Amino acid sequence: MFPQSGRRLNRVTILFVSLIALGFIIATFDVRSANNDVGDVLREGTQSVLTPLQKGATWVTSPIVGFVDGIANLAGLRDENERLADRVRDLEAQVRSTDALEEQVLQLELINGLEIPGELSTVTARIYASGSSPFDNVRYIDKGASDGIVVGQAVVDEDGLVGRVDLVSANDARIRLITDPLVSVGVRVQSTNETGIVTGRGEGPLRLEMFRASQPVREGALVVTDGSRFPPGLVVGTVSATAGAEVGFVLRTEVVPAAGLSQVDYVRVIVGFSPIDAGLTSGTPTTPATSSTTTSTTAPVTGDG
Amino acid sequence: MRRSRIVVALIAVLIAVVIQTTVFGAGQIRPFGVAPALVTLVIIGIAPYVEAEYHILLGFTAGMLVDLVGSGTLGLWAMTLTAVAFAANALRKRFEDSILMSLVFTFLLTLGGQLLYVFLGTLFGQQTASEPNVVPKMVLPAVWNMILAYPVFWLLRAAFSSRDRRWNS
Repeated sequence: MFPQSGRRLNRVTILFVSLIALGFIIATFDVRSANNDVGDVLREGTQSVLTPLQKGATWVTSPIVGFVDGIANLAGLRDENERLADRVRDLEAQVRSTDALEEQVLQLELINGLEIPGELSTVTARIYASGSSPFDNVRYIDKGASDGIVVGQAVVDEDGLVGRVDLVSANDARIRLITDPLVSVGVRVQSTNETGIVTGRGEGPLRLEMFRASQPVREGALVVTDGSRFPPGLVVGTVSATAGAEVGFVLRTEVVPAAGLSQVDYVRVIVGFSPIDAGLTSGTPTTPATSSTTTSTTAPVTGDG
Repeated sequence: MRRSRIVVALIAVLIAVVIQTTVFGAGQIRPFGVAPALVTLVIIGIAPYVEAEYHILLGFTAGMLVDLVGSGTLGLWAMTLTAVAFAANALRKRFEDSILMSLVFTFLLTLGGQLLYVFLGTLFGQQTASEPNVVPKMVLPAVWNMILAYPVFWLLRAAFSSRDRRWNS
């Protein structure tokens, strides 16, 4: 098999077996240790070395990548334009009806003396890199601890929840996407007001499980965060298939994430929220549209996952 | 073993990781939603230029680097790329037989690497095998690697031979 001598073959084989054994030990250690400080330190160190190279590579190659991407998508652009024009018309109609509802809600809140939830402070960040294999569900952003970002904070784009911060260095942070199988998020189905958990499946729709559902969930129902760890009312996605509730059984269905996770370039990290705020759950979905470059010193938020 | 060759191999691995996480990263160039496995390709491509022991060590190092920038369990890619390097070493003579053979072996080694990663990921509780589109995620990188093999191997050959010339002069 090898052109070298038998002694050499042995050396190579022994080295190979040793390294595989070392890999097993490292993997076992990583899985078994819940708060893997050593792993995190290694990851932060590696990322701090790679960050300048990755930012440089992104800066140099982004025009080429954009050009290649444009050519690749040329055929679909016309269809996409038509689809977006239809969507804009629908949304304009929705906005008109929402304006009237919003006015009603404001009046009701004033009447009931309720405090209107303040706008969430966010830090806008750019994604400059991702994981290196198709099985990775992480993104790297160009803002870190110096911008008020801490582990556990929710990350959103204009459509909804993207993920949570799971690793932070001074000027960079890593986001674990909601599609990651290790991420679970406490949610509420807006139409029934019942709670459940969505879990990532690596890609595509999320798995929704509701343990004490008394009503069925309908296709298209909006699913928002329940406020246990993330700010309440952040849009997570929509139910993709109707599912019924049966006594003694877990209601299971799928949720299509609202955020465009595969194409997201810019995100907002919600820095102005701590889990203590979650005591007041809001009924209205929170749209993280308020972008500011705030540096906040909020308490660390541990993600739902 | 010339130290310069290991340095060149390490630089090649580092460049591959940077390109993999940026140019072939999410939202970038990913034909059919899956990018080539460039680090695996480089590990296969350096087989003829470094000795077997160093090659296997380089595979392990590259795998650890991939693990550290990824979201999975540490050590899985390290084991995978160590195995790829070991297999590439076993086939290194046949690599030199013909271009066609090297392309076929590149496809098979990449596919084998992806399969091994899925197996190890499932073994360590990552639910990799139950992910949607797991088959395209295993097969497409192998196809892209086969397509990219010739230019990448050419670049590696140029890098190693230029380094050797400088070393000798």
